[in-house]
Amino acid sequence: MTMAATSHDTAAETAETSTRKQPDRTFWLLAPGVIWMLLFLVAPILMMVYVSFWTQTTFKIEPTLTLKSWVTFFSSDTYLGALWTTIRIWLVVLASTLLVGYPAALFVGLFVRNKTLSTVLLVLCVIPFWTSFLIRVLAWRPMLGKEGAINMILMSLGVIDQPIEVLLFSELSVIIGMTQIYCVFMVGPIAFMLGRIDPAVIEAAQDLGAGFWRILRTIILPLSMPGVVVGAIFVSVMVLGEFATSAALSGRKVNLLGNIIVTQVGSLKWAFAAVAGVVLTILMGAVVAALLRVVDLRKEL
Amino acid sequence: MSSVLQLKNVRKAFAGVPALAGIDAALADNSYISLLGPSGSGKTTLLRVIAGFEQPDGGEILFAGRRIDGVPPHERGIGFVFQNFALFPHLSVAQNIAFGLENRAIDPVTDGRIVAARVRDMIGLVGLSGLEDRAITQISGGQKQRVALARTLVTEPSMVLLDEPLGALDANLRTRMRGELRTIRERCGVTFLHVTGSETEALAMGDTVLVLDRGRIAQSADAGTLYSRPASADVARFLNCYNIFPGEIAGESFVSPVGALALGGLTQASGKPGYAIRYDRVSIRPRDAAPAGDEVRIEGSFVASEYSGAAVNSFFTLDDGRVFEVETHLSHAAPEAYEERGRYALVWKREDALVFA
Repeated sequence: MTMAATSHDTAAETAETSTRKQPDRTFWLLAPGVIWMLLFLVAPILMMVYVSFWTQTTFKIEPTLTLKSWVTFFSSDTYLGALWTTIRIWLVVLASTLLVGYPAALFVGLFVRNKTLSTVLLVLCVIPFWTSFLIRVLAWRPMLGKEGAINMILMSLGVIDQPIEVLLFSELSVIIGMTQIYCVFMVGPIAFMLGRIDPAVIEAAQDLGAGFWRILRTIILPLSMPGVVVGAIFVSVMVLGEFATSAALSGRKVNLLGNIIVTQVGSLKWAFAAVAGVVLTILMGAVVAALLRVVDLRKEL
Repeated sequence: MSSVLQLKNVRKAFAGVPALAGIDAALADNSYISLLGPSGSGKTTLLRVIAGFEQPDGGEILFAGRRIDGVPPHERGIGFVFQNFALFPHLSVAQNIAFGLENRAIDPVTDGRIVAARVRDMIGLVGLSGLEDRAITQISGGQKQRVALARTLVTEPSMVLLDEPLGALDANLRTRMRGELRTIRERCGVTFLHVTGSETEALAMGDTVLVLDRGRIAQSADAGTLYSRPASADVARFLNCYNIFPGEIAGESFVSPVGALALGGLTQASGKPGYAIRYDRVSIRPRDAAPAGDEVRIEGSFVASEYSGAAVNSFFTLDDGRVFEVETHLSHAAPEAYEERGRYALVWKREDALVFA
């Protein structure tokens, strides 16, 4: 009897420790990530919001709370202009990466049925990333410049007799550069979703009498929407936070929110920089939230 | 009966390996045709060539009197039901069925009410009422099968190709869908060409059964003829109900590895000699029982038996190591117990055997 009771106790105890151990393990597994995010993401964002209300004078910044920086930001044509330019360039680049990226993804993900070949093609898209970001951006200068490759070729072909000056140091050059750099982030997710479409589904649509454009609109496009949304989130987040491409390719004519932040930080105007940072963060959050409403990614992926 | 589809010497090779080696066939209008073939016989290729997903290397395909090789699939008017149904995963049951009517390039139905009415009729016909708004992921395998069929039938094709349509269903459902497919076809009055690797399915479903072997039509006959009079030893093998011996005819007997078998039944010319006896035409007797004058007798040792309710299949090893199968129907008899490794006489009537010369 005693024996039985003892063994029963031990069993109960083991069961108890194992259920107690479970949350312990979960805690330890989550701790590094949570601590990291708290220290280096949540805390800085809160700090940024806080600093945006500090008092900024020409030479110093004091933790006296004021709305002055916010009022200055929203009453200045420069800052509002930068916000508007950021939104405009973001929309144009989003549209152009989609326009260039979707057909490329269609080719890689759907028309190339050989898995090895489509992987090779995707890797080819990634090859530019083997060089530094700055080199990729600066490489556009000898292409787009007044005496750059494009102008030279067009002139020697006799298409134009004056070089097209708008190609470099303009909004156009920023858009061209960003489209090239961020296009692959659109191609990847879309090609992945297209590759998952059962070829028989497309054959079924053909057999039911639908032509190519109909199938593209009614079958392929809806089935690839999750890829479009993921690609759009990648491109949006990166373009909205951009400053290097516009600095290198616009000759400081195009000022994005990112450029404002860089300049303000450079001249130690922390409060202004923080205001611009908060505005940019809110804008990104809103864009991502809106994109996630388009498709329920948890259901689709 | 007029023929809806004619194939004349249709050929197709993949990387030099012939998949279709000259198919000649005429499929009757308003009938259920099953196409039986082992895997690798080219049956899916043939179906895809007829549907237009593959281009033949040579030959002619005539559909309703018009040549269609070279015509793209969406202009052929031939319906295709895929093995895994290939339903549109982002559309509901009703939207899947309406797809063809709304989106076909030729003569699309733009009036929403007509589409809705025809979809409703079709949903009734295949027995899916009440599931119109379900997502494709929320219905069972049998229901998906019906959606796939309805989606094709609603476009009123003159012919429907079904690629192993019951292969993805479980055994119970498969038997029930057999009857339903036939009923649905009779109501629509179009020709169904049903591809299958199962001989029971081919025999049960087809008004006509085509047997495909190594890229050629080996036989085209009604189920009864096919079963009792296969045209060659290979066809007999696919039917899975014949013991087949190789060998050759010498005088009044067929010389096989298990001895000389006396002739007496039908001898058919087929190119490759063979001797076939149906599983259920053989009786098992004690070794010492003498055969009657019109009987053929061989000996074998009992290995095992397999009980399937209405019948029992017994397996014997013959002297050359070959396995010999006997099917005994149990409608009027209890299963007999045989001694393992015991020698028994296997006896059949001469005229029951099929001899191929």
